[in-house]
Amino acid sequence: MECAVPHCQQREPTVLGRKLARFRPWVQTGFLAVWLAPLGRWLHGIPGCVFHCYSCPLSSFACPVGVAANYAALLPAAFEVPYLLIGVLLAVGALGGALVCGWACPFGFLQDLLGKIVPRKISLPGWLGYTRYVVLVGLVLLLPMVLGFKGIPFEKQVVSICRLCPAGALEAGVPYSVQSVLAGHGWVMSWFKTGILVSFLAAALVIHRPWCRIFCPLGGFLALCNRFSLFHLRFNPKECVECNLCRSRCSMGVKVDQAVNVPGCIRCLECTTCGAIEPCFARPQKSTAREQSV
Amino acid sequence: MSQRVPQPPVNPALRDLERHDFWPGFVAALAGVVLVLCGARHLTGVDTVDGSAAQESQLIKAFSSGGLQYASELPAPAPPSLDDPAAQAEALDRWTRQQANAAPPNWTVRVDTDAKTPCPT
Repeated sequence: MECAVPHCQQREPTVLGRKLARFRPWVQTGFLAVWLAPLGRWLHGIPGCVFHCYSCPLSSFACPVGVAANYAALLPAAFEVPYLLIGVLLAVGALGGALVCGWACPFGFLQDLLGKIVPRKISLPGWLGYTRYVVLVGLVLLLPMVLGFKGIPFEKQVVSICRLCPAGALEAGVPYSVQSVLAGHGWVMSWFKTGILVSFLAAALVIHRPWCRIFCPLGGFLALCNRFSLFHLRFNPKECVECNLCRSRCSMGVKVDQAVNVPGCIRCLECTTCGAIEPCFARPQKSTAREQSV
Repeated sequence: MSQRVPQPPVNPALRDLERHDFWPGFVAALAGVVLVLCGARHLTGVDTVDGSAAQESQLIKAFSSGGLQYASELPAPAPPSLDDPAAQAEALDRWTRQQANAAPPNWTVRVDTDAKTPCPT
């Protein structure tokens, strides 16, 4: 589609925008040292804030999604409120919203790297983002609880988020299966889970962050915090020349020209390259964007 | 992402108001910090193998290391095995009576803090 905006090609990215776009992969790489710390296994008692399997041989923190599912499965046997889990997710979400998705999550980083291989991408409809909440409520919370009431411990539940998770397949299933193959015992990960992993890796070549956009329950929860988090994006109508650079740079299909602090945003800050959208922290907006533009 | 993707023209009338206040985020972040502090000190209703109440971090660690033990999943003790057939029969009979009269454990689930088995899922 030819861009209908006459001066679309004339707007150049700002210096800050260029720096953020260059800086982000290095920050994501740096965070790998936090999530893949072999000496940090003693941190397994603390829920993390990113999507990373706690069965990974190098994992430091506990996967918050797995912890939530385990708590749900434990409910029939012991009613426990997950203070640590809720506290970590609420604090991280209220501070940055989905900022960890765009800058810290290792599985998101992997999808970003795979996405650079094939330039052309398939765009997805925005409503697919709601399936994240179906996964969160159905697969992470309700299903383990129902099976727990039937007396099935979470580890023995045949269908669960952990049994289907591609991050767990990559970060735990593959290392243990390779170890098993080298020991002569064959591939231990189920072929179904291996197929899910291969499908997601292939999808990440032609779709921007397919797991994040369609299925990630953690990203879905953190994205709900985008509306009120202390870190947010502010639109400055005085700087906007309607060049649509913001929307064209967004890999998540967010209609940035209409609203930017929405649940579909992973706060990668690519849209800030135009200069009309700027990252802010803890600064209340005294007047709305429409009032400023009058 | 360095390339520009053609987009439909911008319509300022469709721009959301997007008022963003400070206090909701601040209160929520504070609530999160308070919950983390509560969780760090909170003793759960689940006991450990040695009888003390498990901390929340111990319970979470048990999720990832196969440390949750369910009373319904506990294996029965193995029957005795002796060389003398007569003594074996008597011991087996005594063992069967003990199993029949044994009281069920007074716990449903407990935490083994020394477990190190990677989660099998």
